[in-house]
Amino acid sequence: MPGIPSDSTSLIPFALEGSSQPPPVYPLQHGLRAPIHRIHISWSRGNLLNVTCLRPPPEQEDEMARDDDEVGGKAVEVMLGGAILEGNIGEHKRRRIAYESVKSYAFLHDKKMSLAKMETGDNLSAPALTYWWQYTLEYSKSIRDILGNARLHRPLIEDPKNFLKPEEVEQPIGTKAAWELMEIFYVDMQLLSWLPERLVDWLEEYDSLLSKTETVHSKLANLQRKVTSMQVVEDEPGYWNGLAAALAVGWLDVVAKLLRLHGSYDPDQFDKRETENGLVEAVVLLVSEMPRMRPNLSSGKLGICYQTKHDYIKGLEKWRAKVSGLESSPFWVHCNHRPTRDGLINLLHILLGDAKHIADATSHWLELFISHLLYIRPLTNGLEGMGNLAEKCMHLKPSANNGLTSLLVGILSENPEIVLADCLKAFGPWIVAHAVDLLTANSEYTDGLLNEERYQLGGASIGELYMLVYAQALASHPLTWQVAPAYLSTCLNQGRGLLEILLLSQPVQNYRVILKTLEICHLYELGNISTHIMKMAGMYQWKHGHKGLGIYWFQQSRDKTRLGQIAHKLFDNIGKSLSDDSFKQWEGLMELLGSDVGIAGGLEFLHKYREFKRSLQQIVHGGTAEAAKKSTLLLVQLMRNPSTPQRFWLPLLLDSVKLLEWRSGPLLGVSETNLLLGKLQELSMAKLRPDYHGGELKPNALGDVRLALAKNLGRAILEES
Amino acid sequence: MADSGDRRRFMYNLHEQSKPVGAVRWLPSVSPFLRLAAMSVLSPPAIEIHSFSSQNPNTNLNLVSSYPLPSPATSLTSFKSHNSTLVAASTSTGSLHFFSVNPYEGKIESQIISISDKDSFHCGPIQSIDVETSSTGECATAGEDGRVNLVLVGEDKVENFRVCESDGLVAYTAVKWGSPVEFATGGVGPGLQWWDKRTPGGPVAQFKGVLGRGTVTGMIHSIDIHPSRKHTCVVGGSSGAVYAWDLRWQQQAITLAGIGLEAKSQPFSESEVWEVKYDAFTPQISSTKVLPVMMCSEDGFLAVLQQDEPPLQLLEEPCAINSFDIDPQNPSDVIVALEWESVGILSRGREETEMA
Repeated sequence: MPGIPSDSTSLIPFALEGSSQPPPVYPLQHGLRAPIHRIHISWSRGNLLNVTCLRPPPEQEDEMARDDDEVGGKAVEVMLGGAILEGNIGEHKRRRIAYESVKSYAFLHDKKMSLAKMETGDNLSAPALTYWWQYTLEYSKSIRDILGNARLHRPLIEDPKNFLKPEEVEQPIGTKAAWELMEIFYVDMQLLSWLPERLVDWLEEYDSLLSKTETVHSKLANLQRKVTSMQVVEDEPGYWNGLAAALAVGWLDVVAKLLRLHGSYDPDQFDKRETENGLVEAVVLLVSEMPRMRPNLSSGKLGICYQTKHDYIKGLEKWRAKVSGLESSPFWVHCNHRPTRDGLINLLHILLGDAKHIADATSHWLELFISHLLYIRPLTNGLEGMGNLAEKCMHLKPSANNGLTSLLVGILSENPEIVLADCLKAFGPWIVAHAVDLLTANSEYTDGLLNEERYQLGGASIGELYMLVYAQALASHPLTWQVAPAYLSTCLNQGRGLLEILLLSQPVQNYRVILKTLEICHLYELGNISTHIMKMAGMYQWKHGHKGLGIYWFQQSRDKTRLGQIAHKLFDNIGKSLSDDSFKQWEGLMELLGSDVGIAGGLEFLHKYREFKRSLQQIVHGGTAEAAKKSTLLLVQLMRNPSTPQRFWLPLLLDSVKLLEWRSGPLLGVSETNLLLGKLQELSMAKLRPDYHGGELKPNALGDVRLALAKNLGRAILEES
Repeated sequence: MADSGDRRRFMYNLHEQSKPVGAVRWLPSVSPFLRLAAMSVLSPPAIEIHSFSSQNPNTNLNLVSSYPLPSPATSLTSFKSHNSTLVAASTSTGSLHFFSVNPYEGKIESQIISISDKDSFHCGPIQSIDVETSSTGECATAGEDGRVNLVLVGEDKVENFRVCESDGLVAYTAVKWGSPVEFATGGVGPGLQWWDKRTPGGPVAQFKGVLGRGTVTGMIHSIDIHPSRKHTCVVGGSSGAVYAWDLRWQQQAITLAGIGLEAKSQPFSESEVWEVKYDAFTPQISSTKVLPVMMCSEDGFLAVLQQDEPPLQLLEEPCAINSFDIDPQNPSDVIVALEWESVGILSRGREETEMA
């Protein structure tokens, strides 16, 4: 990665050619004094970048002179992106969502696998598909619950002046809003007939996310703050503006509550306001009787539900007649309070679907859109019609688009690729990875589009690509990487390879971490990867002097080669030193290696060998004939014992020269000498074999031994005859 | 014997922590209204004391106090000494820390000692510690570096005595006191070892792990010894293995779960058993059999195992259960630490109907 040191204390990346946007600059605090001499950049785990800044090496004298605590360099860790969800969610909340959502995701995919197995063909057949969207709906609902349950608990005693949700209730998050939007359009087939009403509900929950300042919600929140201090609410233009805004987007319960704050309801007042109060109450009644094309309403919401289009149209006509009737009523003349009269008539105009009044009442184009759906074109159904309407509203009320509105536009333009790309940009990889299943739930076309293998993506589909992106984000954090395999395993083309890389890149220092990694290998039947990991762990521990753990991992991975090498090394060292300490080490190693040394009874040999070596040492320092006899006995025992490794024959034979040259008569008899000669012969033959381990010996060593043996044989024959 | 699995009722509450929790331990509680638990947070490394109302288990865990550690804790234990509550923790960089905790409100009052010395103490992670609470108050530490030390915390000084130095030939992973002079260790290589302070120089008994038809080649993660049956160690380790080793019959251990069971019985869990503890709450079936043992595993199980009985499953979590503790004062209550940054509290009720 290119980077140039600047004279300030920040690093600036090079501008990329051909990019219209200026490159973002991220100042990096490294706290070093300029000038910076060198910068090293290397990738750490996942999205973590290690940046090492070095100052110029100090001059010799300079170093002596300057004794302050000026450091020569510093390594800084930089976390790049890494946002699994949008920015306003805390890091731990993101991890929580990642943990929780994997259950639902894995469950849905298990279902998919079992359904696919049930059906003979590759594609799900018609009956399976009808079940399928229900499974997906279940999945979608469980994910929605994970994202936060914003349903508020109503206080036992309601303050009449509180018409908005209390502020302390968990703020809605954009990710959830986007998720619900996709659920509305892609998954729930029962909702199709009352799609507009569903959008009204959606806006009610998430209106505050559209924009910070220019929404109905912000208008009402302002009013809510002021309303307690207002003396005469109906004199305030804000009150009527808020009423119109709430009505335009269909928050009928808020409208009714607000209207009941009207001063004419006050029982102790001086002037006569019966007519005025009657008019207000009539509007409240009309508002609460508004026909709604939906199966039901949650408690506290107003309107009259109609199930079928036919009933709805009939109801709507009747209700509209009532509204027009009130509008042209003679009572308005008797209403003395002008703001009330104007405000109420404005409300009636909105109810009657007057485009101008609606446009004035709403702030955001999406609100205008919802308003149109409610009052002007309540029967709009197809995506195309909605798309045209949205375009018109955007034209009428140009407002800044954010992630949510672009998502809606993408959905209405029926382009799943744009929907996913917008989601990724606005809400991060989590939502995209989980939303692919929503998009493909009911549409074979989308299913084909997103799950088709593409050559330019290395055989992966678009859906898989998004899954891989999310898995990568998960893998970059030491606490969430264990969740990533569940997603990688569903990626048929490249998931396996990436999963292997992920597992192999886990640290091998801590055995508990290794065991956790091995557990995942076991789960996904990656036997060769677990062998690799165990070998790496073995090497690490062996290198750091933890012989026990090292050999344990080699044994677990059945690494015969390395165990064999260790055994050879061990035998090479045996005999070089006879101190108790090193002997204890060999003993321990021999015990650990056990049958892996390739000889049975390795420990028994070791003990005998030591005994022999010790007694031989005594003889060299001038021992008795008794001691020499004992040594000879041990030597013969060692040579007869099949567990003595062949590689020890020659050193033993060499050692035997000292005994063979014993001054007061031969110590070995004819048969024993023959035994040694036989071994020598066998050894000379074995020397020709490629797997022979000789160790370092003098070139004429074999000759010396042969000569000594021959001499001894002669002496022994003479003695015995 | 009736199957008690269905009749039992229990309450389970999960508390999200938003930080990874390694081990959890109950603290002896003095107040009738407040329960205390210690937990080791892995990142950033610290010891935390949490409290919750004993009347209403639905209430949240409240963080009372926290004390930073130099590196993540590998082992945690809590005990009472001279009317004060102490918490001891060992770390992955080979240090040992003792804290005194106010038994009423759970505030960490001070760090009594902190030992870390690469030469005379441990070099590398201390995998397990255990404090002998009945008389000596000695703390046994078992390290991956192959050392076993005994630490005696006195009034004004700390004594450290090396029991074993294996120069890396053994990596010790578990330690547990059996009596004031005897303790058991588990390690890679020698398996289970029994030590007696009166017989210095090496272990007095050793079990390399031959179980039924198979051999346990995996690691030992946890050992527990019941105060009334000091000759029996229960051991939890790799491949879902939980077994009891009786010093009087050293050659053969009794399998409770995992490898070595009869072919017909399905292994309950095949992953790592991170912790085992005798469960005083589950009634004992027969005095000749191994006492009921609770275990937690990497594949998310919390269960009670009994000899020759099917396991009684208490929890099945979607992530690993790294640690658990049974409250010695109220054995019905269990606290568990889950991989996904949360802590669960399980309250087991009495059996609904008594046997007629």
